[in-house]
Order: sequence, then structure tokens, then C-alpha cells
Amino acid sequence: MSQSLAKQCNEVKERYDTCFLKWYSEKYLRGTGSAEDNECSTLFKEYSKCLQVALKERGIDKLVEDAREDNKDNDAAFLGRKKCELFQVAS
Amino acid sequence: MKVFSNAETFDYSWEEVSTANWRKYCPWNDKSTHVVAVDTLSREVDAATGILRTERLITCQQSAPEWLKKIMGVSMEESQMLETSYVDPAHKTVTMVSANLTWNNLISVQETVVYKPLNEHQTQFTQDAKITALCGGWQRIKNSIEDTLVKRFRENAAKGKEGFEAVLEMSRRVFAEEREREKMMMIMEQAPNIRRAEFAEGMSV
Repeated sequence: MSQSLAKQCNEVKERYDTCFLKWYSEKYLRGTGSAEDNECSTLFKEYSKCLQVALKERGIDKLVEDAREDNKDNDAAFLGRKKCELFQVAS
Repeated sequence: MKVFSNAETFDYSWEEVSTANWRKYCPWNDKSTHVVAVDTLSREVDAATGILRTERLITCQQSAPEWLKKIMGVSMEESQMLETSYVDPAHKTVTMVSANLTWNNLISVQETVVYKPLNEHQTQFTQDAKITALCGGWQRIKNSIEDTLVKRFRENAAKGKEGFEAVLEMSRRVFAEEREREKMMMIMEQAPNIRRAEFAEGMSV
């Protein structure tokens, strides 16, 4: 797997990536993968916690927030939602 | 604004390509070395559509030409992109849109990549990148910046295709080994009465 931006997160990232890949290929693509609450979610939370600290330290968290805002149109287009629905979710 | 477009065909099923895509930048890919880190920021399955939406932070390390460094006044070695991807298993489509997080007050890079099946054994990859230099000043300089980035995209795309082919080949091999191992496990579990010696003998024939 690829490295993390933050070296201290590499170990948990590796475990999460391996878990996700298994879930993706064996469950999700076969139509049996349910929503967020799958076997990898605990690992993801752990990895995320580690990563958030590193992103904050480097000021990347703010850049991500801005880019997310700019990506709303893509969400509307590719998730097949109407913009007003997205607005309701956000507000 | 300049546009870079590219299309490739991979001789692998959409399922294989969309799976291997998650580890495109792993050590099996020794061509795309400019990508130094890939981090997953968020991931969820949309309840209404079943679409898997993922946000990843892509960190690149690639030095810019000297003249560009002088204009920007920074070394420009490390840069980040936010990649948002949508996997639609019902329509067998992966769409990935990426935007630059770094120097986005100077340059805008908007990239869209789509993976779709051509048939059961082949997958089409299409890539579109819109590159716009936003800095005020001479059009000639803006053009040079855009041309430099388009050239970089072209070089990285060629390396990316080669590197991804290696990842696809390794993935197929590893999955085949995994399946073989699981099959063996199942045989072992389902036939507890078969003596080990007999089993070994049967396998060696």
C-alpha cells in the first residue's frame, strides 16, 4: 500500500487499507457491502484520528474544507442528487 | 486554460481495475514515484444510490522547472490534490475528480478520470485535466506555466499507465493465490475425515 503523509499513521493506515480492499472486492462489488458500519470502521476511526492531527499541524485541514466546498457540484452530478437536497443535508 | 486529455484501454475486467485502482500508488508501481503519499480522508456509501464516495489526499513530490520556481518564489517540491471518487457498482463506473490544494490561488488544476467497462475483460480509462494559470500578468507567462503543467501531465500519464499495468498484473496474481488458498482451506475444513496423508498424496498427483 501507499504511505501516509504522516509517518506515525503508517501502521494503522496499512491495516485499514488492507481491511478496506478486502471489503471492497469481496463484499461491496458483490452487492453485500452495507453502509459505514462495516468491519473496517473501527480501524478507519483510529487512522482518521491520527491523520487529523497531522493535517491540522500542516494547515492542510483548512485547504481540504475549501476544496470540499468547491466540490459540491460534483457531488450533485455524480451522486445524482439535486443541489437543493444537498443544501438540506448541509444545513 | 489548457486541456490535457488521454484515453487508455486496460485488458482487465472493470472489477479488477476498480479494485487495483485503490492501490495504484503502492510499491508495485515503481513508475509513479512522484506520488509519495495517499491518505483517505472520508468514505461512505450513499444510502439512496449505493454509490461509494471517497475523499483522498494525494501528496506529490516533483520539482518544478527553475524559471517557474523563480516566478512563484517557492521551491514547489511538495503539492497536494484532493481526489473525490464515486464508485457506482450498478452502472459499473468509477469517476474520480481531483483539484489542487496547493498554490490554488495561482494555478487551478481540475482533473476527471473515469473507468468504465468496454466488455467483460476490458476497461476504458479516460482522463481530462483543465489547467488554468490564475496569476495576473503577462499572457505569455501564463501560457508558459500552463504548457509546463500540461507537459508534466503527459509525462506522468505515460508513467502512470505503465505503473498501473504492473499493479494490475500483481493484483491478479495475488488474488488468484488468495482464492487458491481459500479453496484449500475449504477442502481442509469440509473434509475432516480425510487423513492428511491421503490428502497430500492426492495433491501430489
